[in-house]
Amino acid sequence: MKIKLTISTIFALSTFAFFSCEKKAETASTAPESATAAPATAGATTGMPLKTEFPPELIEGTPKPMNLPNLVAAPTKPPEFLAAEGTALLSKGKKVTSSDENPIIGDLTLITDGDKDAGEGYFVELLDGTQWIQIDLEKSSALSALWLWHFHSQKRAYHDVIIQVSDDSEFKTGVTTVYNNDYDESSKLGKGSHNPYAESRFGIVADAKGAKGRYVRLYSKGNTSNDMNHYIEVEVYGKEL
Amino acid sequence: MNSDPSSINRRDFLAKTVAGVSAGIVLGAPSILRANGEGGSDQIRVALVGMGKQGRVLFEAMSNIPGIHFQAVCDIWDYNLKGGMAKVRALQGHTPKGYIDIDEMLATEKGLDAVIVSTPDFWHSPHTVKCLEAGLHVYCEKMMSNTIDGARAMVRAMEKSGKLCQIGHQRRSNPRYRYVLEELIKGQKICGQIVNINAQWNRAVSSSQDIAYNPKLTIKQDILTKYGYQSMQQFMNWRTYRSLSGGPISDLGAHQIDIFGWFLGAAPKSVYASGGNDFFKNREHFDNVMAIFEYDTPQGGVRAFYQVLTTTSAGGGYYESFMGTEGNIRISEQSAYTSIYREDSAPSWDSLVERGYLKRKPAPPKPEPAPGVIASYASAAAEGFELPGELSKQPHQCHLENFFLAVRGKAKLTCDARHAFESEAPIYWVNPSALSKLPIQFTPEQLSV
Repeated sequence: MKIKLTISTIFALSTFAFFSCEKKAETASTAPESATAAPATAGATTGMPLKTEFPPELIEGTPKPMNLPNLVAAPTKPPEFLAAEGTALLSKGKKVTSSDENPIIGDLTLITDGDKDAGEGYFVELLDGTQWIQIDLEKSSALSALWLWHFHSQKRAYHDVIIQVSDDSEFKTGVTTVYNNDYDESSKLGKGSHNPYAESRFGIVADAKGAKGRYVRLYSKGNTSNDMNHYIEVEVYGKEL
Repeated sequence: MNSDPSSINRRDFLAKTVAGVSAGIVLGAPSILRANGEGGSDQIRVALVGMGKQGRVLFEAMSNIPGIHFQAVCDIWDYNLKGGMAKVRALQGHTPKGYIDIDEMLATEKGLDAVIVSTPDFWHSPHTVKCLEAGLHVYCEKMMSNTIDGARAMVRAMEKSGKLCQIGHQRRSNPRYRYVLEELIKGQKICGQIVNINAQWNRAVSSSQDIAYNPKLTIKQDILTKYGYQSMQQFMNWRTYRSLSGGPISDLGAHQIDIFGWFLGAAPKSVYASGGNDFFKNREHFDNVMAIFEYDTPQGGVRAFYQVLTTTSAGGGYYESFMGTEGNIRISEQSAYTSIYREDSAPSWDSLVERGYLKRKPAPPKPEPAPGVIASYASAAAEGFELPGELSKQPHQCHLENFFLAVRGKAKLTCDARHAFESEAPIYWVNPSALSKLPIQFTPEQLSV
């Protein structure tokens, strides 16, 4: 579990105690409002614009603070990404496995069913700690991009979002990391250079830069609202080899 | 209003409950946890009734509290039920028994000590009363009920059964709130005379939409009907229906209006409210409500303005401001919304800062006077301060800890059903005032059990 509660300070002046908890490199000075620019997506300089369908916005309840350094604000418009001509959605309906074989809420088929709505019954919830899901594309492919929606009915950011591609279903050999925002290496899969980002109905596009592999594995380690891991939809774009 | 239960030796009480020190101070007559028959464990055996969104929030808060064994889960929606059971399995390594019907659960489960009720408001009272009558301690989410009579029944059941009944006004156990009341308002009297209160909970339209659900998961209509819902849409969005809830003034406002009476130590003498369906035209409950409560306190009269808006987040989130002749304390569950200001004419607070009672906020830059402006009638900018500590725990956790300590006989509840009723009773009259467009002068009967 990422959060370890500790009693940090008991004020000598009074009998009141304040608690603090040790969270992933939180910073009290970074409020959601001060988050920086929209997610940067690269892709090719020429090619076909990647397109997908977006769910309607549906936010529930009062937002919780997202105290993370260099947090990228939720975008207000769809991300733009140019992919090579002939790029196609490869993941629709493909089999998904996970480090959590018995999800707490929902099931793994939701991740590739094409439905990105917010609300109950559209997401899968996995255990706390670093967990992964893995999509079997059935054929080795050259990947252009991954479009990812963790959970967007609440403004939140997921910790340690790491995306890897490999032809090895166990990810022991030939692993290419295409995205990693684990800035403090708390998941011990290497230090990431991407920034944490706030979830939105537009999802986030990760540039796969032509990485080759049959399997795509996505990691996370809880989020700014709770310790659990969630996925609504993952779309993998590329060309079969 | 009766005296606050925790006003007796509050400092000792807080030091030994909120800080988690379990030295045995027993206030009142809480039940002593019995050992179960499986090796004499002192774990508290708990059933979870209602595992929707709020049930999950409470479960996450409880998952950080040692000594709890989750024995059963109850929810009429298979989706919530399976999710709740899976959460328990993930936490405890075993799958608890699951029930759709609370009566079946109470008849079947043996050895339960306590129940956590987080069902929709109109079920709070029936579920709480059943559990108390079954000899179980209850932690029930606020609002106590969708009707004042339902809340009254909960108080009577608690007192008749002799069991504990904590109501989920979690700020009552929050050390930041308790610190502000005990040390700053009562102890150092930094507000001077409190003359006004201003509080709000404003949510954007985007955060106030109907809750969506996957139609594949729709509950069968006969089950919905059996449990009081006309449709799946009503089941998911019970907060917007008059027969099922009190609407935003109770859903959000009750948390904050509770603080008014707690901090003032008084019940209001009147309320005058206005409300309307300014954006969500088809909702039964008002989407925007404003209310003015008037209090008589030993220090003088206090007017308290409260607004709950589900149509805009303007105005800076959610907080309660206690405005006095010498200082203003604006407090919120979120520290970002909390700030303290000294009136320019008030005595210096330097010694409070030196002794660690307050932290000084960085002074904002002085604005340049506008060209041509010779004099201003505005008061000088108030000096800003902060609380000297943070609470990073999940905000419900302290309140649940207080409940479980009380079950163990080591604390007194910070918000039992009677005190919660005294806090909530005026809130039941806000919607009637807004509907009639008339002020209500409270009678003792309106505010009593």
